[in-house]
Amino acid sequence: MSGTFRFLDDIAMADMAFEAEGDSLSALFDAATEALLHSLADPATVTPTWRRTLDLSEPDIETLLFEWLGRLVYLKDADGVVFHRAALTLAQEPDGSAWHLHADVTGAPVDPARQELRSDVKGVTKHLYAVTQDGHRWTARVVLDV
Amino acid sequence: MTLNTDMQVNRIDDYLWEIPPSEKAGMLVPARIYASPAILGAMDRGVFDQVTNVACLPGIHRYALCMPDGHWGYGFPIGGVAAFDPEDGVISPGGVGYDINCGMRLIRTDLTLAEVRPKLELLMTELFRRVPAGVGSRGFVNLNRREFRDVMRKGASWCIANGYGWAEDLDRIEERGCLDGADPTHVTDYAIERGINQLGTLGSGNHYLEVQVLSDKGIFDRETAAAMGLTGRDQVVVMVHCGSRGFGHQVASDYLKVFEKAMRRYGISVKDQQLACAPFRSPEGQEYFGAMNCAANTAFANRQVITHQIREAFAAVFDSTPHALGMHLIYDVAHNIAKVERYQDGQWLVHRKGATRAFGPGSPELPACYRHIGQPVICGGSMETGSYLLVGTDRAMHDTFGSTMHGSGRTMSRAQAKRTVRGEQLLRDMKQHGILVKAVSMSGLAEEAGLAYKNISDVVETVDHAGITKKVAELKPIGNIKG
Repeated sequence: MSGTFRFLDDIAMADMAFEAEGDSLSALFDAATEALLHSLADPATVTPTWRRTLDLSEPDIETLLFEWLGRLVYLKDADGVVFHRAALTLAQEPDGSAWHLHADVTGAPVDPARQELRSDVKGVTKHLYAVTQDGHRWTARVVLDV
Repeated sequence: MTLNTDMQVNRIDDYLWEIPPSEKAGMLVPARIYASPAILGAMDRGVFDQVTNVACLPGIHRYALCMPDGHWGYGFPIGGVAAFDPEDGVISPGGVGYDINCGMRLIRTDLTLAEVRPKLELLMTELFRRVPAGVGSRGFVNLNRREFRDVMRKGASWCIANGYGWAEDLDRIEERGCLDGADPTHVTDYAIERGINQLGTLGSGNHYLEVQVLSDKGIFDRETAAAMGLTGRDQVVVMVHCGSRGFGHQVASDYLKVFEKAMRRYGISVKDQQLACAPFRSPEGQEYFGAMNCAANTAFANRQVITHQIREAFAAVFDSTPHALGMHLIYDVAHNIAKVERYQDGQWLVHRKGATRAFGPGSPELPACYRHIGQPVICGGSMETGSYLLVGTDRAMHDTFGSTMHGSGRTMSRAQAKRTVRGEQLLRDMKQHGILVKAVSMSGLAEEAGLAYKNISDVVETVDHAGITKKVAELKPIGNIKG
C-alpha cells in the first residue's frame, strides 16, 4: 500500500506543514516526497524533460528524510526546475550503521505558461520535525519554510 | 483579559507588557511584548513561549522583546528582538530568520494617480515581465562565481558599479547596502548554486512589488514626509518586499547544522532546537556571521537590481527617464538581521527577526538628509489594505535597541486562507476595488489575501502610542505583483 499525505493547518501559520504516512519506510518516503512535489507545483502539469539521479547516505532515517527533502529544494533553485516524479529506493547497511537512498527524479524547467506553480518552498525546517513508528505504520511531520 | 499563556504577564503601560524571569526556569532577563490589550489578547501561544525561550539564551542583555506584529516563528518569534554581549553572548540563526535580510524598500516618483491609472495595466505587465517572481524564477543578471562572490562582499555598491542604480541610492540604504565582515569562504557550494541565478527576483510567499498611492489625507506628518520627497496629492510610490531568496535560506540551514554540534562543544542547551546558537566570538559564530553578512549583502543587491528594473519599466511605460520621473529611493531597511550596533549603554549584537531598525534623530548612522527626522521605517501590510511609512525615535534607541515592527502579521494559516478564498475570485475582487494584481500562482495569491492578516493600522497605532516609531504616511495599493 502506498503512503498518503495531508497538509496541516494549525502548526505553521505563516508557512506550510504536512504529515506523511506509510505502512513501510519506502511508502513514507514516497508520501513525504509527493507532499513536497505538490507544494511546489502540480506534478501532473510538469512534463518531464529533466532528470537527475541522486544517492544520499545518513546514519539514521530522520536525518535521511530531512536531507533528501532539502536536496529537492536545492535542486529546484540550482537547476530552476519543478518536479514530475521521484522514484526512490531505500536500503540499510547490514550492520545498521547507515541508511542509503537512491533517487531517480524527473521534472522540467519552470514554465508558468505550462505548469500550475504553487509555493516557492525555501527550505525544510526542524520545527516540530518528527519521524515516528507505530507498529508497521510510519509517520513524518514536516514544516516547510515558504 | 484572557491570554494564550499560563504565564504571568504584567502591564507596564497600555502598550507594553512584561513576563518576569520567575515565569520560566532559565530566563536570564524579562521578556517584553509591545501590544495594545486587544493585540496581546489575540497573540498566539507561540509568542509567549518563544520570547521567554529567547530570554534564556546566554549573554542576552536587558530584555527579550517582541513587537506587536509578533507571531510564532522558528525559534525566535516573528517580531523578536534580542541584544547580546558581543564578547560573552551568542549568535543564533533562528534570531535572524531563514530569509536573511528580508527587507523593505520604498521608491518615490513625481507621478500622480491620474497619470498612472490610464497606463496601470501596461505598467504592471511591464513590471511583471522585468521582475521575475514565483517558484524557480531566475534573474536577468548572469553571474559567474567570482562575480557572485563580489556581490556577497559588496552588496548594493556592486550594483551601482555595474550600472544597476544611482550613486545616491547607497546613502538611503541601511549600512549603505553593504555589511562589513562578509566572508564568502564560509558560504557552501550548495548556497552559491541556489543563489547565483536569483539576483533581481522577488520569490513568493509574502514577498511582493507594489505600486501605491499617497493621498493628502494619508500624510500624518507633513514636514517629515516632505523630507523624504513625499508631498501627497495622490503621489505614486513603489514598495518592494523581498530578501536573499534561496541563498540566504541555505546559509541559515547550513549553519543550523553546524550550531547543533557546536552547542554540544560549548555546553549550551536551548529550549528549542531552532534556537541553536554558538558564542559570537567562537570560530563557528564568526563563520556564520561572515556567511550571514554575505547573504545580507546579496539581499541588498537583490533589491537594488529590482529597483533598477522598476525604474526601467516606469521609463518605458511613461516614455521618460527615471531621473525625470523623480524616482529617488526613499529608504531600504532590513527586518531579518543580526548586527553589532552601538548604544548609550554599550555595543551589542542585536538580532532582529521580523523587526525593523528604527534609529532616532541624530543617529550618526543615518544619512545627512534624514539625520534630523530619524530613520525611515517601512512596514508592509496585506496587499488589500495598505502599508505605512514611519520614523525611528529616541525612545526606540533607549527601549528597544532601535527597533520596531515590520508588518501586519498573519492571523490565518495559508491552508485556511486557500479554503476561504479562491485566487481567481480575489483577483477579480481586488480589480473592482482598483487594485490590479499580477500573480504567478493563484493558490499563492489566495494565501496572501487580506483576511489572513492582522489589521496593520492597529499594529501601527501600538508602536506610535508606545513611542518607538512615529507615523508619517499611509500608502494604499493600486497594483501588486506576487510570486
